[in-house]
Amino acid sequence: MAAASSSDSDGGRAESSEANSKWLDAHYDPMANIHTFSACLALADLHGDGEYKLVVGDLGPGGQQPRLKVFKGPTVLSESPLPALPAAAATFLMEQHEPRTPALALASGPCVYVYKNLRPYFKFSLPDLPPNPLEQDLWNQAKEDRIDPLTLKEMLEGIREKAEVPLSVQSLRFLQLELRDMEAFVNQHKSKPIRRQTVITTMATLKKNLADEDAVSCLVLGTENKELLVLDPGAFTILAQMSLPSVPVFLEVSGQFDVEFRLAAACRNGNIYMLRRDSKRPKYCIELSAQPVGLVRVHKILVVGSNQDSLHGFTHKGKKLWTVPMPAAILTMNLLEQQSRGLQAVMAGLANGEVRIYHDKALLNVIRTPDAVTSLCFGRYGREDNTLIMTTRGGGLLIKILKRTAVFVEGGGEAGPPPAQAMKLNVPRKTRLYVDQTLREREAGTAMHRAFQADLYLLRLRAARAYVQALESSLSPVSATAREPLKLHAVVQGLGPTFKLTLHLQNVSAARPIVGLRVCFLYNEVLYALPRAFFKVPMLVPGLSYPLETFVESLSDKGISDIIKVLVLREGQSAPLLSAHINMPVSEGLAAA
Amino acid sequence: MAEERLATHLEFPGPGSDPSHSFDLYHCARLGIEPASWCCRDATDPVAHTPEFPILEKQNWLIHLHYIRKDYEACKAIIKEQLQETQGLCEYAIYVQALIFRLEGNIQESLELFQTCAILSPQCADNLKQVARSLFLLGKHKAATEVYNEAAKLNQKDWEICHNLGVCYIYLKQFDKAQDQLHNALHLNRHDLTYIMLGKIHLLEGDLDKAIEIYKKAVEFSPENTELLTTLGLLYLQLGIYQKAFEHLGNALTYDPTNYKAILAAGSMMQTHGDFEVALTKYRVVACAVPESPPLWNNIGMCFFGKKKYVAAISCLKRANYLAPFDWKILYNLGLVHLTMQQYASAFHFLSAAINFQPKMGELYMLLAVALTNLEDLENAKRAYAEAVRLDKCNPLVNLNYAVLLYNQGEKRGALAQYQEMEKKVNLLKDSSSLEFDPEMVEMAQKLGAALQAGEALVWTKPVKDPKSKHRTPSTSKTTSVQQPLGSNQALGQAMSSAATYRKLPSGAGGTPQPTKPPSLPLEPEPTVEAQPTGASAQIREKQV
Repeated sequence: MAAASSSDSDGGRAESSEANSKWLDAHYDPMANIHTFSACLALADLHGDGEYKLVVGDLGPGGQQPRLKVFKGPTVLSESPLPALPAAAATFLMEQHEPRTPALALASGPCVYVYKNLRPYFKFSLPDLPPNPLEQDLWNQAKEDRIDPLTLKEMLEGIREKAEVPLSVQSLRFLQLELRDMEAFVNQHKSKPIRRQTVITTMATLKKNLADEDAVSCLVLGTENKELLVLDPGAFTILAQMSLPSVPVFLEVSGQFDVEFRLAAACRNGNIYMLRRDSKRPKYCIELSAQPVGLVRVHKILVVGSNQDSLHGFTHKGKKLWTVPMPAAILTMNLLEQQSRGLQAVMAGLANGEVRIYHDKALLNVIRTPDAVTSLCFGRYGREDNTLIMTTRGGGLLIKILKRTAVFVEGGGEAGPPPAQAMKLNVPRKTRLYVDQTLREREAGTAMHRAFQADLYLLRLRAARAYVQALESSLSPVSATAREPLKLHAVVQGLGPTFKLTLHLQNVSAARPIVGLRVCFLYNEVLYALPRAFFKVPMLVPGLSYPLETFVESLSDKGISDIIKVLVLREGQSAPLLSAHINMPVSEGLAAA
Repeated sequence: MAEERLATHLEFPGPGSDPSHSFDLYHCARLGIEPASWCCRDATDPVAHTPEFPILEKQNWLIHLHYIRKDYEACKAIIKEQLQETQGLCEYAIYVQALIFRLEGNIQESLELFQTCAILSPQCADNLKQVARSLFLLGKHKAATEVYNEAAKLNQKDWEICHNLGVCYIYLKQFDKAQDQLHNALHLNRHDLTYIMLGKIHLLEGDLDKAIEIYKKAVEFSPENTELLTTLGLLYLQLGIYQKAFEHLGNALTYDPTNYKAILAAGSMMQTHGDFEVALTKYRVVACAVPESPPLWNNIGMCFFGKKKYVAAISCLKRANYLAPFDWKILYNLGLVHLTMQQYASAFHFLSAAINFQPKMGELYMLLAVALTNLEDLENAKRAYAEAVRLDKCNPLVNLNYAVLLYNQGEKRGALAQYQEMEKKVNLLKDSSSLEFDPEMVEMAQKLGAALQAGEALVWTKPVKDPKSKHRTPSTSKTTSVQQPLGSNQALGQAMSSAATYRKLPSGAGGTPQPTKPPSLPLEPEPTVEAQPTGASAQIREKQV
């Protein structure tokens, strides 16, 4: 016992060694090919033989081949194709009399498929939504050919923009058509009544009138048109209908339908709405300001996982109790109920391949899995009471059994100072040389300072002089005179012995063009030959960059390079406007013999 | 510009325009879908039996489940399939596609898709909210406010709209409107984020007290939010209410022992009280989490300085300076440590660099003057002191140090004037707070007072009982030609500045903004009417470069 609790103190380390783990690895099949969500997993004694089976509404790889799979132990007992992707699976007792085998309900599209003894038993379809009366009216007119397609289109367009009730698919399709296709479309579809259908997004079960474990339950459906429906277990009629401000994603139900019940619905707008028996509209609302990724009720606390990597606890009136940050994104959540010890906890499958188990804020256990767990459920499987079923992102199936001796203890695994506090500070070291220099500075600080200041002044003086000189002799590549604002830059291309020299000359004045400029190259005639050392520049339009190209022949074969000076001159003036020194590269090719 | 864009973006096709082109075909092209495949079949195959239309929302739940799990690749695949089947009519698929685009940073694309959603269902406030959000992220705050206002017409009771409107107004610098909206949001539903933004407005307006009020309410509402706790703690710290500051920072650390801001702020308070060891232990956590934080290394450096490990202090400060070369506080501390190490030439460089970034602080000039005095550049030292005295309003040390220099130079009258100025400041300080004066400073002042025969030093009511500094102070005097009967002012500068540094630290520690500090101004100070003309200060500045 003592050993068990000490291993609990750090859940992170405990399960790493097999002996200390609370779990027995019963089965692992990485190739099980199951792609599903926690909502589509259910455990039930489907045949009434005391052997619990696992029902999986499998979406198939890439959501292509939806199948209903039933597992017994590690093997697939039966597998049957489904007409559409399953949104949720639930098992429930339909009636009181014996044998008390539970029925299986699969929500898919607008229908709930009910199976008994794994044979199709009943198909419940959601009632059609009432169509927009105006729209109905328009199509009726079209049916009697009292309206031409173009008018129909305009009228429907008007309804679409304003009406509260959305248009049917038929009308929306019609609105998309080109003019020439309209006639045919109307003729083809006008005799059909317009329909608006909706889809089941989530499903849960609610006890009818008894709180017992094996009591008759109703199905609670959440639909795409923001409604919650409670179905009668025997007759499949709608017992209650409630509306929500947004589309429900997860449902959490407690209580009994005939007595008192609470419904919590996590919705797509990031809010969680709480309803009670006699409320047609939500009574309380939790605004998460993030998307909920899971909703689990533990006793009276609603535990919500948000997509901002945290778990939140709320009361049933929507008051926030606590927040626990998670090390990675939450992928799925479910309830862990160990009935023998009366424990309820929340399991959360994380993107980093962990399954964490929390009781309120306290971390009870961490399970590391070979792949990120995307769906999980806990309960009686086969003849074993506490079994954890997990499926992974890659389609694997993991089954673990909780050891009968295992006790979850709130170890407070993360209390105490963070481990980083024990790390040594990385203080940069100083060398012997540094210390010597320090000593030298202490002795001769004044002299150093003076020398530095003197040199600084000299440097500035030189810089100033060089600048003045450059200005005076127009050595800069940007001309400073107000009359001819010019910019020059040069590019040398080639490996030699022939280079291409391109001068880019730009008139940077706002509006005035410049005429009458000359360009002159000064170079060592022993080393280089240019076809033209002096030429006229065309008129320079403001803002454009003029590339002036010329070839330079390197004459020396000794690998020497030199500077070529470029002067830009104004006609009739001897002082250049600007000049550039081009450092020619060494010719890499063989000099022309 | 922004209004213009908005006009084009919100142009929903009216009944007159041709909507078939305006959304669906465009969309299909965008998402890489073959458009009109259904139409063709319908047109070419006009058989009597009519195909059933698939339900548009058929796979919305699946898209949503993949989206919240952050499995965006799977999500995109389903969206593509769904849009293909419904010819781009499935609004939710487009909506999630836009959300994913936004998460991937393609805000412009997301904006366009949200606008499509808004066209598909014009009565839905959510779509408009997302359009506005994308506009906001694109920096078009004005356009965003307009769309939010539009959305607010459709949904009156949405805190998110109010909150986001408020945030937009903050960016538009319309703080009054922003406050109104944020209060509205709080009225509808309370959220930590709204409190934070509201507090931010008050901080931007420089109203610390109101900001504290807001954060207090926020902490009441959400007592475990470490960000709120830390911010409140830092605000108290700024106001000098250390008890409460420590309480809130401590709370923040209980909920999140690795909170970087809270550790730095709490550590700097520990440093103020001389708990260098404890502060260093706390900093280790931060050093692990944020090893490249300049304030962290600055604080660690000053811990070592407090423990008299000067070489380590310099190492850490230099790292801090390397990480944040434009932070004058780090340069100030570097200057100070180098002064202590008697490396005056280096100290001069750090201090002059600091002055370049922060030309309005008297203490910096004083430290510079101390360095210059020790570098035997008395002319410039005096100029620096003059500037320090001109800028400083409350630190008596500035005047005292100046007086010592003047006295040592033999300018008794000037020294006396500075001495009296110092007494004034001391009296002021004594009236306003029970601040303890540095014993070394008191002793020096008394000595100087005696030497100047400035009358009995009545200002010092507290008896000085620190004889230790006595032998240290004179021993540091160097054998220079300058007569130094009162010890070097270097020792003084040291003592004062260490005190000053600790006082400065908290504000720099947590990286909180200091609204009182104006942005750095051009170097030339305003010409003063004092004896020192502008030329002098200009000359000092010359040397600082």
